[in-house]
Amino acid sequence: MKKGTRKRPALPLSGIRILDFGQMWAGPHLTQWLAVMGAEVIKVETHLRLDFMRMIGIPPGFARDNFNAGTAFASLNYGKRSITLNMNEPRAQELAKKLVKVSDGVTENYGGAILERWGLGYEDMKRLKPDIIYYAGSGYGRSGPAKSRPSYAEIVEAYDGSTYLNGYPGMGPATVGVSPWTDATQAMHGAFAIMAALYHRDRTGEGQYIDAAMIEGSSNFLGEMVMGYTMNGELGERRGNRDKVMAPHGCYRCKGTDEWVAIAVDGEAEWGAFVKALGSPEWAVKEEFHDEKSRRQNQDELDGLIETWTRQHHQYEVMALLQKAGVAAGASLNIKDLVGDPQLKARRFFIEAEHPVLGNITLPGLPWRPAGKQKGNYSYPPLLGEHNDYVFGELLGLCEAEIEKLKDDKVIY
Amino acid sequence: MTTGALEGLKVLEYSDFISGPYCGKLMADLGAEVIKVERPEGDHARRWGPFPGGKSHPEKSGLFLFLNTSKLGVTLNLESEQGREVFYRLVEQSDVLIESSPRKEIKRLGLDYPSLKKINPALIVTSITPFGRTGPYKDYKGSDLINSHVSSEAFGNPTEGVEDLDKYSPLRGPMHTAEFMTGLTAAVCTMSAIMGRGKGKAGRHIDVSAQEALASVTRQELAFCLCEGLCPTRQWGRKRVGGFLYQCRDGYVNIWIGPHWQKLVTMMGNPDWTEVELFKNPARRAEHQLDCNKLIEVWTREYTMAEIDRMGMEFDVPLAPVRTVREVVNDEQLAYRSFFVEIDHPAAGHFKYPGAPYKLSATPWAVKRPAPRLGEHNEDVYGRMLGYNQSELTAMKKAGIIQ
Repeated sequence: MKKGTRKRPALPLSGIRILDFGQMWAGPHLTQWLAVMGAEVIKVETHLRLDFMRMIGIPPGFARDNFNAGTAFASLNYGKRSITLNMNEPRAQELAKKLVKVSDGVTENYGGAILERWGLGYEDMKRLKPDIIYYAGSGYGRSGPAKSRPSYAEIVEAYDGSTYLNGYPGMGPATVGVSPWTDATQAMHGAFAIMAALYHRDRTGEGQYIDAAMIEGSSNFLGEMVMGYTMNGELGERRGNRDKVMAPHGCYRCKGTDEWVAIAVDGEAEWGAFVKALGSPEWAVKEEFHDEKSRRQNQDELDGLIETWTRQHHQYEVMALLQKAGVAAGASLNIKDLVGDPQLKARRFFIEAEHPVLGNITLPGLPWRPAGKQKGNYSYPPLLGEHNDYVFGELLGLCEAEIEKLKDDKVIY
Repeated sequence: MTTGALEGLKVLEYSDFISGPYCGKLMADLGAEVIKVERPEGDHARRWGPFPGGKSHPEKSGLFLFLNTSKLGVTLNLESEQGREVFYRLVEQSDVLIESSPRKEIKRLGLDYPSLKKINPALIVTSITPFGRTGPYKDYKGSDLINSHVSSEAFGNPTEGVEDLDKYSPLRGPMHTAEFMTGLTAAVCTMSAIMGRGKGKAGRHIDVSAQEALASVTRQELAFCLCEGLCPTRQWGRKRVGGFLYQCRDGYVNIWIGPHWQKLVTMMGNPDWTEVELFKNPARRAEHQLDCNKLIEVWTREYTMAEIDRMGMEFDVPLAPVRTVREVVNDEQLAYRSFFVEIDHPAAGHFKYPGAPYKLSATPWAVKRPAPRLGEHNEDVYGRMLGYNQSELTAMKKAGIIQ
């Protein structure tokens, strides 16, 4: 070490190696967390069956089949290394087994027990590496009558009850969000569980098998709904932007086209501040609005009156004005607004990377930062098979000629 | 008896309602010792419900009972000097503090990170706020509603889009899922700090922003926007690949077409229209997805949800009926996996709760005890753990420091 330079403390998961068979959304997002936190994540891919996300969001100017240009993939896989293995080949399975031996964890989110077919079930892996942590993420779990059913976020949301409760009051059910909400839920429950298992292993030397079902994680997010049913047989109702206590509590039209602001007024003191911030309009003293309960009962009328005010302003003006008065308000941002949001910018939520194919790219970071002045491991999302030489050469000690042969034989493929 | 993965980890939770308590619950149900410190009036979730029979009672709120399993519960008046001293004693012997108070409030109470670090340099403090503790909005208020909107989660909801943009506003998701996502994010961040603490045992402050936790979920759309300048509209029919809702005889089903088109066609009995070039060709079909969906719906309307569900299994088409919580709680798959757990609470009674979000083979998820009654473990924690004697405890009660 040079004089005067101080070695940076390692990232929290440095020294941990994960062999990752994840694909699509939930699996990759999970290991992306671990990678950014410092783990070495080796993503096992193959030319025979590309991670679908590699083909999503390829910007104009790139060939439609350029599997290194998918921006959806980019948003879910930075910080990782990529290798290609044709797992139908016994020699590829042997290489995977060698990698298990030098890994701390193995992750996958296949639709069924695919790894078992390759001789990589948990019992097999335990023989290779007794303290291995094996995480299997799936829609319905790896046991039970639905264990082999294919699943996607929207399917799980219909199954777990959230679609039924999502939507505008008085209208039909609707699917949640534009992004795969339950995938994110599963990814992060998984990251938490794997770290807990690593914590346990570090103290006891014991590894384990983690079977995570998307429906079970998301049912926890809906605990309030479950309790309403188990206590009272309630099926719940679609509240949309409304609250069961607070009023006003909604999303209001602003000056621009499709421009909206959300406002939540909590209790009498905030109501007083809210009315004052609006310039104490005459309607605010009406009997229908004299307390929270009556405001709730007359919400349609109240919301209309509030909108006569919000329509005169832009969303950020309303937000600043009300927040200054101590009332919770937030601009209802679309994706473009979000990219320009001053708060996210000030906190450097977005990260930049130099990508060999896409060039300079900006991507959303994770809502996590390491201690002090360190930076998370945001190396660019790997090109397909980019790290074959490093992993099979340096890690497994194969010589160049051996690697070339395996490539020619489409084992490393 | 097996132990939990986080056995031995000591966590202090000074946090109301959902996000902080869910973070604490994730740790408690994996074996950490979580001491929940409530203000004398109790956690806001105690007043939220649902309540058995609809009758409000601070020991019977379903949301509170669910979020606080496996924790010890104490009350403490932090407005008093003596109350703060007691809190500092708890801080001395904790690994983690989870808190979600406004920045200024936590400073006023003397519970800010620099103060606590002096007492326990190894302490990890996880602060959860609506916008994070830096930046122009650092002191702004938030909530499930506000955070859903400022993260663009609400702008993308519902997935199907709306027919009239002026009539239908952006929409927050069901229940308080945004709060849960924030709590889960806090748990992941906290766990990484525990892993990173290593031998030197240096603590740290973690600054969790609900806005970021939720914006992170929209990462795919953010990438499209940042790399290509795309911005999804709220227009009806913007979905292209799969995951569409269809009305059937007694409700709705969601079917994921994508690469499963041929299986779906077979399931529908090969109707003539699927042979038309417009629908046969995947690229052209995507251009006419709304028309295609109308034709699929002609078929789904002939059947019940249960019938379509059975056919989905037979033909391996990813689909699910839009189910209510009744079907969820009585679900065969979840029953097979013993997902729901029965918990007997001395005040609230015996109910089914959602169970393990993940099954760990060596260190299973487990509820150690039902949610604490207000101040239930005051004597245990202040007496047994901190060593206050009976007369000191009595004096503290008299002074209103504890209950």
